[in-house]
Parts: sequence; structure tokens; C-alpha cells
Amino acid sequence: MTELKTFSMKRMAFALSLLCIVPAAAHAEYPEKPIELIVGFSAGGGTDVMARTTVPYIEKYLGDGAQIVVKNVPGASGQIGVTQVAHSDPDGYTLGTYNLPGMMARTLDRESDYDADSFTFLANIVNDPNVIVTSKESGLDTLDKFLDAAKNDPKPLSVGMSSLGGDDHFALIKLGSLIGQDLTIIPFKGSAPTRTALMGGHVPVAILNISEVSGFEDQMNILGIARNERSDFAPDLPTFKEQGLDLVNGSMRGIVAPAGLPGDVKAKLLAAFEKAVVDPDFLKSMKETANPVEPHIGDDFKATNADALEWAKKVWTTSPWK
Amino acid sequence: MYGDLINALPTVLTVANFAAIVIGVIAGIVVGALPGLSATMAISVLVPFTFGLDPLVALGLMAGIYNGAMYGGAIPAILLRIPGTPAAVATCFDGYPMAQQGKGGYALQVAVVSSSIGGIASALALMLLAPPLSRVTLLFGPSEIFWIAVFGLSSVVFLLGKHVVKGLISAASGVLVSSVGADPILGVDRFTFGQLELLDGINIVILLVGLYALPPVIDLLEKPLKTDALGTGKLHTQSLLTSLPSMFRFWRTWLRSSLFGIWIGILPGAGGSMAAFLSYNEARRASKTPETWGQGEPEGIAASETANNADTAAALIPALTLGIPGTAVAAVMMGGLLIHGLQPGPMLFRENPDVVFGFMWQFLFGAILLIFLGGSLATNNFARVLRLPRPLLGAMIIVLMLVGVYSIHGRMFDVYLMLGFGAIGYLMDKLDFPLPPVVLGLILGGFAEENLRLALRIGQGDWSILWHNVTSQLLIVLTIGVVFGPGILRRIRGKRGKDGGDADGNPTP
Repeated sequence: MTELKTFSMKRMAFALSLLCIVPAAAHAEYPEKPIELIVGFSAGGGTDVMARTTVPYIEKYLGDGAQIVVKNVPGASGQIGVTQVAHSDPDGYTLGTYNLPGMMARTLDRESDYDADSFTFLANIVNDPNVIVTSKESGLDTLDKFLDAAKNDPKPLSVGMSSLGGDDHFALIKLGSLIGQDLTIIPFKGSAPTRTALMGGHVPVAILNISEVSGFEDQMNILGIARNERSDFAPDLPTFKEQGLDLVNGSMRGIVAPAGLPGDVKAKLLAAFEKAVVDPDFLKSMKETANPVEPHIGDDFKATNADALEWAKKVWTTSPWK
Repeated sequence: MYGDLINALPTVLTVANFAAIVIGVIAGIVVGALPGLSATMAISVLVPFTFGLDPLVALGLMAGIYNGAMYGGAIPAILLRIPGTPAAVATCFDGYPMAQQGKGGYALQVAVVSSSIGGIASALALMLLAPPLSRVTLLFGPSEIFWIAVFGLSSVVFLLGKHVVKGLISAASGVLVSSVGADPILGVDRFTFGQLELLDGINIVILLVGLYALPPVIDLLEKPLKTDALGTGKLHTQSLLTSLPSMFRFWRTWLRSSLFGIWIGILPGAGGSMAAFLSYNEARRASKTPETWGQGEPEGIAASETANNADTAAALIPALTLGIPGTAVAAVMMGGLLIHGLQPGPMLFRENPDVVFGFMWQFLFGAILLIFLGGSLATNNFARVLRLPRPLLGAMIIVLMLVGVYSIHGRMFDVYLMLGFGAIGYLMDKLDFPLPPVVLGLILGGFAEENLRLALRIGQGDWSILWHNVTSQLLIVLTIGVVFGPGILRRIRGKRGKDGGDADGNPTP
């Protein structure tokens, strides 16, 4: 497999070097051809919607009729796509979506062909904070009642969640260590089955993201939001911090490029992202698609990634998630 | 709510929206008929392109494709013994023998009429009963879903073929294939050999194309000079109006299979293929002449095709009301809704009634249109395909298979995997191992495993969680009935009539 990869890489490099002979003479301004954005999930998923909603605004602020083509490379929770990005040429014509904490967690729990240094961090766009929800019939309608039950139940409480080694899982591990109590993790395949099992009373508690409970507020108890401040999405929902529980966690989705991007290209991309994330039309369409925006541009994003990695490492050594 | 339904009608009847349905149905039939291309794939390819379209136009296309493809899969299933989609596997059982007997045209007409009826029933269920039926979905947690999977697996007893042991080996190997990929509970890699491509498990289409499409194609190429192409050179098609009255005797099957399709549709999980298998078995059990099934019984086609289309709109009931897709196609369609900022869930009905109810109408129109578009396409054009020289036909199908499998994830790995399965399928065919149990094992094995383990985790290892409520208990009784019922019945009859039932131990009723 690796042999095959290096072979095709060599061939690609050769083909590219051939291509470069012509435009090298007159170095035109970036971007002079369509940019490919690799999305590590299939069309219509949360990350895909984020990417497709963002693309027109990046095109707009790159100017000069810049064109970005979205390509879905689904598989292995985004790992196949992000690996492709890490190994592509750092010329600014391949970008990719990037998820935290998932992408960094994969470097710990699996053999991965990339690490934190494989990327140029452009912009985090979305941070979908976690919420703890309980079923109506569980009677656990406040955080205190839930914490009481978690501490006093003879058996560890069952908590539904949607992705092994993803943000929900991390939130659960954080929660467990904060309250010093074991919780039984019930890993459903995706957030919709988790939510349904909760609504049907098959699990008493679940960890979801705020965007996944919008519209279902009447059918479950939402105990709080794992964010530093309240979210625009649900201004009446108190944070866990307000309630004395230091739980901050969420699913972050952004866009990266391979490491070693030329300075001028990087600057141009960063400038475009800076402008796009404050564009009122952009913010409006992100709100419509239930994407809570939390921009971290450039070095800020890189630092966020380093934090996530450090935290994941700590968890991986004390309580590995698989 | 029904007021919203009527209000949405004029919006649907605009030219663009209606054209979208017509184009969708035709595209769906073609996609379904091509082995290797499925509705899931067609819609996931389409989703990104609909980004700039009006939501109803986009949804109309999808509704049309879904309905069309469920019928389209029957065409190669009947004419070539190659199911065009996973849901058409059960259509092969009687469809291909009919084609061999020179009744291919009638078989296609039964398929199109039944598909259309199933689709209409399903659309009506979606339009009229979506909110109450969505509550049924909530009754099914992991332990209940586990029993549904077991119930589905139990129907394997009807698919074992002549040799029970060979049939069981087939079923077990299907289950084995289902265990490839990341463990659903602990995330440990199983049989992935370090390949990221295998982490998500093996896509059903890859297995199906390899097992089902490659062996018949090799067969086509092995005997290139056989002049009466497959013995089905002529379809002997009569006009649909002449043949329609003879189909009315299937009304019981139509009704039963529609209910089956709708029921399986609203449950999250297995989808059209399971609906078709289950309803085929039930229809055969209810038939007065079960011995003719598998040898060209048109009612078998009616059962399978009604059910796989009745699954379509029903699968959207939990998808639209609760955000849980009933089938893989519904999951992709939800993506299509999301991309237009339509969040599935209870709010959808309040905030965008025009779109939701319009979408439901589109399903109904799609199903009705199927009979006209599918009827003429099937009866007039597909006979020509069969008159092609055999090497040409085989080569064309191989190209389609390669393109189709490659386009699932856009990688060659899947193509090699498919070719590997093809080699296995070819050997199995020659050695008389039945293929349907493999498909059933793959679809339901993983499903059963995941839900059993989820249930046991919820129950903290206490097995009694599996029969703690009425829904589970009912499903257990049903399963036992399916597995042991025929044997017990035979014994009772045997004692009375002293004819001893099937001597070869074949559990066929």
C-alpha cells in the first residue's frame, strides 16, 4: 500500500513538474485555477454543509473569479480525506475540512499517516458545543438531579453518545473525571439514533451537540451547555459553568491546507477567511443550517489544535477510549 | 395538518417541480436497472448539485429517483438474473424463471404495476399518518431492533436452497463479512489488515455487484455463441391494458406487501431489501400453491416489488419527523434536506410546511408516474438489450459494474474488493451455494450484533433486558413462529394424512 502510494506520489510530482514549466515563466497571482476542497465525509453531513456554506464566501473574498470545488472523500470518520490533504502538494490548490478533537484523537488511537505538523491551519469555522440531555421519563430534569443520580446509583448510569473517540466521547470522559464517577458509555451510530433512543426512553441520559437538539426541546430535558458563555442558539440555556460544573467541550470543524504553504498564498487565504467569517450573509446562512460559528483564524486555530492534542494525550494515557 | 397538505398542492404542480419528478423517475429507472448503480449512490451524487436549486425541485428529483430505482432494479433481475439494486434480490427468484419461459414482458409489467402500488401506498402512509407512525419508531430501542434483525435473519430458512448445510455456510459467511471494520462498541479494528478503506465495513453494493452480477456476466462470456440470448430473446409483451386485469388476483399480496414495506420502512435499519425478503416469504407462506414459487410465479414478483417500493416514502416518516433515516437512501435524502437548511425534526412541519408536504405529494406523483414511464420503458426498450450479442452485453455490464463500484467512494480499492467477491461468487455459483443468504447475513448480521451489544450495555450485562417489554416479546414470538411453525404444521398434517411432508428435510412449507 505504501509502495503504491509513493509510486503514485512520484508520478504525480512528475506530472506536476511538467505542468509547472509553462506557468513558471509568468508567475500569475493565486488562485489561477480551481481550488479543490476535500471534505472527509459524505455530502449532506454536518461537515459537508459547513464546507459548502462557507465556500461561496471564500470565493467571494479571494476575488478574481476564484473557484473552489468541493470533493467528498468519505471514510474512517474523515481520516481518509484528511490524510489525502496532508499528502497533497502545498500549493494552495488543495484544502481540506478538519475536525477536532477527532483528527488529533486519530493520531493517538490508530496508526495515522499525518500529525499536527502536517497542516497549515487556516480557519476553524464551527464549534458545536455539547449538551447533556435526559429523557422526560427519567425525571432528571435538572443538572443537580442528574449529578445526584450519577453519584448515588448503585450501577454506573448509562449515557448514550454518537462517536467513539469523538467530541461526545471526550465530553463524557471529562464529565466522568469532574464528578469522579464511572458512566456506562452507550455508543450509538450517529447522533440521530442516540436522540431517538433517548426520546423513546431506551437510555436515560445522552450527550449531544446543541445543533442536534434544536426542534426537539419539548421532548427532552436539556440540562446545560458545555460552553464558556451562553450560545446564541439557545440564549435561555445556562452553561454548565454557571451551574458550578467546569465542563467546556464541543465539536469543532474548520479548514486546513497541507503544511508548507507559500507565504503569499497563505496570507491571501487567511485574509479571505478573516473577511468571510464576519460577513452578515455568511452568518445568516450558518445560522439557518444550525452551525454555531466560532472562528479561530491561523495561529489561533493552530493553538486550539495543540490544546486539543495535549488534552487528548492526557486522556489517552489515563483512560484510553478504545 | 391536512390543511397544510392541501395548501402545498399548488406549489408542487408548477412546471419545474413536476418536470423534476418526471426526470427523477426516468433517471431512477435507468440507475436502478444498471447493476452497480443504486438509488443511494444516485442521490448522493445528486445532493451537491442541488445546492443551488429550489428545495422542491431538488426534493422532487430525489423522490423520483428513489421510486424509479426501486422498480428499475427489477429489470435486470428479471431479464438477466442480476439484481440492479440490493432490494431486487428477491425479484430474481421468480422473475428470471419467467423470463426463461418467455414471459419476461409480463414479469416486467407485474413488477411495474406492483412497484407503483407499493409506492402509492407508502406515499399515502407518509401523507396521512406520519406523526402517529413516528411514535412507533420510538418504541424500538436497541433490544427491539435486535429482535427485528433476528426475525429477518430467521427468514433465511426459506432461502437455504436444496442443501441446508451449504445455505447455512452462505449465511454465515455473510455474517462474517458484516464483522469487517471497526467494532461498533469498542472501536477495535476487526479484519481490516491496516486498511483505512475497510474501517467502515464493506458496503453492501460492492458485495452485491461482485456476487450477483459478475457470475452471470462470466456465464454470458463463457458461451459466446449461444444464439438464443439467455433463452429470453423474446419478451412476448402484450399491452399493459390487456395484461392488467389478470393481475387483480394479486390484491391480497399487494395489500400485505405494502403493509410489510411500510412497517420495515418506518423502522430504522435494514430497508428495502429486508422488506422484499420478508414479504416474499410471507406471500409464499400464504399462497395456496407454494410449490410453484421460485419457478416463475408472478405473485412472487408482485410481493417483492410492492414491498421494496412501499419502503420508500415510509422510510422518510422517521427521517422527517425524528431525524432518523429508515434506510440508507433516506439518510442521503436527509443530507439533501440539510443542505437546503431544512433540519429534519418536529419543527420542520411547523416551519416549512410547504416544502415538507410538497415533498410528500411528489412521492405520490412519482409513484403514479412510475406506471406510465416504467411501463413504456420496460415493455418497449429492454427487449432490445437482450438481442445484443452476448459478448457485447457482457462487456457492457462489466464496464457499468466497474464505474458503479468506483463511484461509491471514488477509490480503486472497492473495485478490487468487488472483483474478489466476484471470483468467490463464481465459485459459489458453480458449487451450488445459494447467494441470497450471504446478502441477508451481511445486511442483518452487523445490525443484530450492534444492537444486541448496545442493549446489553444499557442493561449493564443483564440479558433480561432483551425481553423486558411487550414489543420485544411480540417479536420473539413472531420469530419462533417463522422458524418452527412450518415444521410443526407439517408434523400435524403428517400425522393426519400420513404422507410425512418433505422427505428431504427441506423446511420449505
